[in-house]
Amino acid sequence: MATEAGEPRPPAAAAAAPGRNGSQILEVEGVVQRFGGIRAVDGASFDVEQGTITALIGPNGAGKTTLFNVVTGFYKGNRGRVSFDGASIFRRSPHAIARLGMVRTFQITKSLAAMPVIDNMMLAAPDQPGERLVNVIFRPASSKRREREVREEAIELLDTFNLAKLADEYAGTLSGGQRKLLELARALMTRPRLLLLDEPMAGINPTLGRRLLDHMQRLRSEEGVTFLFIEHDMEVVMNHSDRVIVMAEGRVIADGAPAEVSSDQRVIDAYLGSGGGEEQRSADARDPTDAERPR
Amino acid sequence: MSSLPLAINFEVLTDLDFWVAVATIAGIYAMFSLGLQINVGFTGIVNFGQAGFAALGAYAMAILVLEAGFSFWLAMPCAIVITILFGLLIGLPSLRLRADYFAIATIASAEAVRLFAQNADSLTGGNQGLRNFDDTWFEISESIESVLQSLGWSDPSSFAPLMIVVWVAVVLAMVGLTYITKSPWGRVLRAIREDEDAASALGKNALSYKLQSLSVAATLGAISGFFLALYFAFLNPQEFRPLITFLGYGVLILGGLASYYGIALGAIIIWTLLEGTRFIDLPLSEAQIAALRFIIVGVGLILLMAFRPQGMLGKKEEMVLGD
Repeated sequence: MATEAGEPRPPAAAAAAPGRNGSQILEVEGVVQRFGGIRAVDGASFDVEQGTITALIGPNGAGKTTLFNVVTGFYKGNRGRVSFDGASIFRRSPHAIARLGMVRTFQITKSLAAMPVIDNMMLAAPDQPGERLVNVIFRPASSKRREREVREEAIELLDTFNLAKLADEYAGTLSGGQRKLLELARALMTRPRLLLLDEPMAGINPTLGRRLLDHMQRLRSEEGVTFLFIEHDMEVVMNHSDRVIVMAEGRVIADGAPAEVSSDQRVIDAYLGSGGGEEQRSADARDPTDAERPR
Repeated sequence: MSSLPLAINFEVLTDLDFWVAVATIAGIYAMFSLGLQINVGFTGIVNFGQAGFAALGAYAMAILVLEAGFSFWLAMPCAIVITILFGLLIGLPSLRLRADYFAIATIASAEAVRLFAQNADSLTGGNQGLRNFDDTWFEISESIESVLQSLGWSDPSSFAPLMIVVWVAVVLAMVGLTYITKSPWGRVLRAIREDEDAASALGKNALSYKLQSLSVAATLGAISGFFLALYFAFLNPQEFRPLITFLGYGVLILGGLASYYGIALGAIIIWTLLEGTRFIDLPLSEAQIAALRFIIVGVGLILLMAFRPQGMLGKKEEMVLGD
């Protein structure tokens, strides 16, 4: 498991073995998650191709976040198959899935407010022997050496997100947008191959949002990181993703290039409500975030 | 006794032997509460069963010496291992539960240990208790005393050797705990304390770390149990009532969450208050004075919560319990 300390590791994509179906890094098939009588996810199936930026959209309550939780092991789905890089990860524990290289962020940021920004970052670094108590006691040197590397790496990464000057502040003092960036930077510290972002753009100002999108593009092209993100802002989805997966009522109803999906009748129906009437008020295919604005 | 309605009996307050005994018990509580600190202050798991760890450690040590013929030196590490295994047994099912259920499970387990000790007469002596497990300590104590005499303390208090050993152990434990808590291992604990899901999402096995934290607390609890047994030279189930754990929490809250040095300070202050107030000469009955001592400590804790909720040496930024 341990990599040679000091060696720069190869970019994530180069290390990735091709999945069974060629380039599918994540395969989700027939996933069901029930809560009592409600099927929050009701047989959702889709794949995510290696090296893409894929958006997951759908009206509120479509089951997007629930699906994220099942895929990343936070919920134990009732039925289905999930494989990451060809290996089944369905119902495995969240930490085990994260260690395989599929790392998520949360809709409501989970920056660790009572820890300094730098500790948030260093916490996420993989292969730290000092995270085992025996090594802390019996091999302190290896822990300290790795700690120095990790700190350098963390500062560098914070710098690209313009957070380096806040490194020693408690994360609780950061603004909402800065916390989103910190959570993304922290997830990147794990050297993920697939990043699942739950509404990364929500609640941050447009300037920071643009920077975040630029980072995603750069990470995809330079390091081969694959992205799957939930987003409500259609402009972001249409302009920044390679593929769009649309969910409604717990199922995937459309899947394709942004242009295809936006003209798909099923998608328009899902957002407008196929039965018409009441639901039309709360949904608009062009801009579902409408629901969150004051009327 | 005194003509003044309110006076302090200075004669006892300046009695060195008395304060040596107070310092010893304060040190034992510091050791006990250091275990609570790593659980509550650094891992965010509310362990209410520390008295159970102390009881199990003390009884296991005494029984191994008395019944199995182990040497004192072998009995102690064995008792620590037994206490850790017990902690894992309790923690493995209950640490998966919500924090409040874990608290209930731990207090129940501690009571189970105490009630077992009370009723398993043939093994633990029941309410008659156990004695004579401390012959080795008696010899050590005498040699420490003679060293103290050679250093010029003509008539050392009988608790002086234990006080010295206890506080050396407390200081070593504080230094060791500070070291491991500042390590990457400790960083994972602090992450779990604040948000278990965030830690899991970064690949940390939260349950495993919580169990490790509980094992450290069990070790410190067992050691404090040894000291308590040596202090009384007698083991009795009543020494391990849940009240002991609550006093430990008093130490923790007074000293401050996430500060090991706060624990030492808190233990000294609480025991100085508890024992020092014994000698306030009021026109009250003994039972009333005994109650008054706890009232004073209680009011002190309330004032502290009002004006300095993070405790004396705690960090406000790291107060994350109770969300």
